Amino acid sequence: MWTSDPAQTPGNLTCPFCGLACDDLSVAPGPADAGLVLVNGCQTARGAFAGAMAAGPGTALIKGQPVSLEAALAHAAGLLAAARAPLFGGLVTDVNGMRAVLELADRCGALLDHVGADALFRNLLVLQDGGWMTATLTEVRNRADLILILGREVPHRFPRLCERVLLPPEALFSPPGERRLVLLGPAEPGPLPAEFAAANPTLIPVALADLAGVGALLRGLIAGRPVRADAIPGVAGAQLKQLAGWLCGARYAVVTWAAGELAFPHAELTVQAFVELVRDLNRTTRAAALPLAGTLGDLTANQVCTWQTGYPLRSGRQQGRSCYEPLLYRHQDLLAQGQSDLLLWVQALPAANPAATPAAKCPTIVLGYPGLACGRVPEVFIPVGLPGIDHPGHWYRTDAVCPLPLGQVRDLGLASVAGVIGKLSERLGATAE
Amino acid sequence: MLTRLAGGLIYDPAQGIDGEVRDLFIRDGQLVAPAPGEDPDHTYDLRGKLVMAGAIDLHTHIGGGKVNIARTMLPEDQRAHCRARTALTRTGGGQVVPSTFAAGYRYAEMGYTTAFEPAVLPMNARQAHMEMADTPMLDTGGYAMLGNDDLLLQLMSEGVGQEVINDYVAWTLKATQCIGIKVVNPGGINAFKFNARKLDVDERHPHYPLTPRDILRTLSRAVAELGVPHPLHVHASNLGIPGNQVSTLATIDAAEGLPIHLTHIQFHSYGAEGDRRFSSAAAVIAEAVNRRPNVTIDVGQVMFGQTVTVSGDTMRQYANHQHAHPRKWTCMDIECDAGCGVVPFRYRDQNFVNALQWAIGLELFLMVDDPWRVFLTTDHPNGAPFTSYPRLIRLLMDRGFRNDCLAQINPEAAALSNLGSLTREYSRNEIAIMTRAAPARILGLADRGHLAPGARADITVYHDLADPEQTFARPMLVFKGGELVVEEGAVTRVVRGRTQVVRPEFDPAIEGRIGRWFDRYHSIRLANFAITDTEMAAGIGSPVTIHPCNRRST
Repeated sequence: MWTSDPAQTPGNLTCPFCGLACDDLSVAPGPADAGLVLVNGCQTARGAFAGAMAAGPGTALIKGQPVSLEAALAHAAGLLAAARAPLFGGLVTDVNGMRAVLELADRCGALLDHVGADALFRNLLVLQDGGWMTATLTEVRNRADLILILGREVPHRFPRLCERVLLPPEALFSPPGERRLVLLGPAEPGPLPAEFAAANPTLIPVALADLAGVGALLRGLIAGRPVRADAIPGVAGAQLKQLAGWLCGARYAVVTWAAGELAFPHAELTVQAFVELVRDLNRTTRAAALPLAGTLGDLTANQVCTWQTGYPLRSGRQQGRSCYEPLLYRHQDLLAQGQSDLLLWVQALPAANPAATPAAKCPTIVLGYPGLACGRVPEVFIPVGLPGIDHPGHWYRTDAVCPLPLGQVRDLGLASVAGVIGKLSERLGATAE
Repeated sequence: MLTRLAGGLIYDPAQGIDGEVRDLFIRDGQLVAPAPGEDPDHTYDLRGKLVMAGAIDLHTHIGGGKVNIARTMLPEDQRAHCRARTALTRTGGGQVVPSTFAAGYRYAEMGYTTAFEPAVLPMNARQAHMEMADTPMLDTGGYAMLGNDDLLLQLMSEGVGQEVINDYVAWTLKATQCIGIKVVNPGGINAFKFNARKLDVDERHPHYPLTPRDILRTLSRAVAELGVPHPLHVHASNLGIPGNQVSTLATIDAAEGLPIHLTHIQFHSYGAEGDRRFSSAAAVIAEAVNRRPNVTIDVGQVMFGQTVTVSGDTMRQYANHQHAHPRKWTCMDIECDAGCGVVPFRYRDQNFVNALQWAIGLELFLMVDDPWRVFLTTDHPNGAPFTSYPRLIRLLMDRGFRNDCLAQINPEAAALSNLGSLTREYSRNEIAIMTRAAPARILGLADRGHLAPGARADITVYHDLADPEQTFARPMLVFKGGELVVEEGAVTRVVRGRTQVVRPEFDPAIEGRIGRWFDRYHSIRLANFAITDTEMAAGIGSPVTIHPCNRRST
C-alpha cells in the first residue's frame, strides 16, 4: 500500500528486490534489538532486507569527507550547472524518483541509461522491431498448461516464480498438477530448486548460444517445413520434435526467459526467435511470451521515461531536444570513451552485479542507498532512502503492467531520490535566473 | 481579483446562448456574477472574438500501458514530431502517440481543458493515472474496463443477484479511481484467451454460460442503478468486420432501453453490400440512434495518414495484425482482467476500405440529428490523432470543403457513399454542443462545459476566421481554472489538473468476496490493487474531484 505507516501493511508489503515484486510480505521485530525482519518472502528478499536494515542513515560526502547535506547539494548543483555532457546512470529508483530524474535531465541536457539496460534492451529491441504477444503473471498463473523456460537461471533469479505463477496452489483454468514444464538451456550449473524439480520438468540441454538456432528449428518443425530436427550438434532432435508437438497441442503455452541471463552479443535475436515462435503458435492455438525483467527497477525507469519523453531509456535531452540511440548511449561505452563530463549515478537499492558504482574518469555525483560501494571516490555522495523501506513509492514488476505501491517500514530521516533531486532542481533553477 | 472578458460572442449551448455578445467575469477560478457596480481588476477586450467553455474530449487514449507500448514501438513518431524544450515546457513530442507532456500542451493549444482515457484496465489503473498526472494543462479521468474480467464473468455465471454486480461495479470505480465503466468487445477479449476468434452478441462464451448480450444487459443495468452519470461506454462486438451493423444494432438492443454509449461507432457501422462486400451502414445506424433517445455515440472518425491503433480488443487487434503498417504489432493477455493490442496503421485516401471508413464517419455525424447525442472524436489515435480535430470540424461545417475532399478519395468508395448528397453544415453552436456542453452533461460534470456563474473558468476564446479549421486550431486565449494558460495557440503557463471521479455507494461486504478471489487466483493483494485518495494526491500526483451520482431504487 502507498503508506508511511508500517502498521497498515501487514501481509501487504511489496518487495523491491526482484522483478516479481511479491506484495504479500510482513515485517516483525527481530530477535534482541536487531530491528525489523521480514518474516516471509524468499531468501533473497530476507537477505536484502536485513542488509538494508543493518545500515545506518549514512552521511553526505564531498570527496569522501563528511559534509552537511546542504554543502553536498550546493556542490552537486554547481557540478550539474557546469556540465556540458552529463550522463545520468543507474536509475535504480521508484516512479517519483524517475520523474525527478527526468525533470533534471531535461534541465541539464543529460543522457539516460539504467544499470541493467543491457538486459532491458534484449527484450525492448524485439518489442520495438516487431512487437510480440505476451501475458502477465496472473494470466500465466491461471491459464498456462505448458511452460517452456529458456536458460537455466530463471528459478534462481525469480525465486518465487514457481510458487506464485508457474505452479500455484490452485488455478482457474489449468490444473497446476497437470502442467508440463520444459527447461531448454544449459545442464549446469547446479541442481534445480526443489519445487521445480518436484514438477518433474523435461530437461533439454542446449547451450545459451544455441538457443536462437533451436528456436528457429522449432518454428520450422511447427510449420511442417522439411527441417532436420538434429541439425544442431549436441541437441537431441527427438526431444525437439516432441517439444514441437507439445507446443502445438497446448491450449496455452508460455515461453519465459530472464533477459539478464542471456548475456551474449545480439541476444535480442534469440529473444526474437522465440517471440516469433509464440506468434506462429497463435495461428491455431493460444500461446504467450513472459519476458522476465523488472530487477533494479529497469522497467520502472523505462516506463516513466517512455511516457514523459516518448522515448525509452538510452535517450538524451541535449540542446533541449530528445534523441534516442539505443546502440550508442550505453553508459558503459560512454564512460569508457570519455564522452561524458559528469556522471550522476542514482542507485537507491543494492545490486549484486555490479556491486559498486562505475569507476568513471569524469567527476561523479552519487545518490546512493547508505552503504553503496563506489568504484571510485565520488565528488559528491548523497545518501538516499530505499523505496519500499524508507519511503512509499511505485514499482513495476516484470510484466510491466502492474505498478505496485511500495510501503515504508522505518524512518531514519533519509530523503527519497525525488526529494534530493527536487532540491537540486531548485538550486539549478535559482542559478539559471 | 475580478477579471472581465468583455464583448465576446458567447456560444454556451447549456444556457441556450447562441452567439450573443455578453461579458463574462472570473474570480477565484470560477465564473461569477459580480455585484452591480463592481469594477474588474483586469479586462480582456474580446470584441469580435468567439467565446466557448473549454473543450472536453470524452474518448482519447492518452494514458496507460497500451499507449506506452505504442510509444515504444514508434520512435519514428517522436523523430517526425520533435518538440523542443522551452523555458516553460518540457522536451518530448510525437503526434500519434505523443509524450504525456506534449499531449497536454497540444490539447491546451487547441482549447481543450478536460480529457478522458476510455480504456483503463483496472490492473493498470495506477499507470493510467500516473501518465495522466504527467499530462499537464488538463483535468483527466478514466473509464474502468469490465466485462472481460474473470471475476465478473464468474459472478454472472454463478447467477448472483444484480445487487452483487452493482457492488462490484461500484467498488471497481472506487478502487480504480474512475468516472465511468467501459466494456470492450463484451466477453470477446476473454474468449480470445480460450482461442475463440469471434464472439457474436448472442453467441455463447467458450467457457462461461454467458453471451455478450448478457454482459451488456447486466453492466448497463448496474451503471444505471448505481446512478453513475455516464452510461455504460460500449466498444461493441465485431469491430471492423463488414456487416457488423447487425451486431451493433443488437448491442443497442441489449441495453433494453437503459442509457448506453456506443463509442467509435464508425468502426461498427459497416454493411457487406457491393462487389467488395464492404459498404456503409451509416444510414441504418444513424436512424437507430435517432429513434432511441437512450443511445449516445461518438464517431471515431478516420482521417488519412499514419497512426497507430491501441485497443483493449485483443480479439480484433489480433485479427487485423496483418494490416500493420509498419509491420509490427503487439497483443497482451492481461491479469485475468482484459488485454491490449497495438497495431500501427496507415489510412490511405486511395484505399477503398479506408476511404469508405472516412466517408462513413462523416455520414454518421451528418445523419444523427441531435448534436447532444453525438460526440466529436477520432478515438485518438485509432482513427487519427486528436490534432486532426480542427480539420474534422471544418469537414462538418463547410460542405464545399467536404465535397472537395470527397472528390479526392478512392472514387469507388466515393461512389458508394451518400456523403455528397448530405447538405447539412454544423453551426458553431452545434460544435460547441458536441465538444463542450454535451460531453459535460453525459459525464455528469456540472462544473464545466458551460459558462454560467459557478462553473469552473475553463474558457476558450477563438478568432473569428473564415476557415473553421484555422479558427479551432489556434485559439486566441485559453483559461484553465481562471488562469490564462494559452495565448495565440501557444502555452504561456503550465498548470496541473485533477482526476475526475464518481463514487457510488456500495455494500463493503463485496470486498470480502473480491479479496478471497484475489487471494486464490491473483498475483497481487487486494490491498495493493485499490488506489486510495491519499495515493492519488501524494504518490500519483493528481488529486481527485468527486462528482455526484444519483442512485436509483432497484
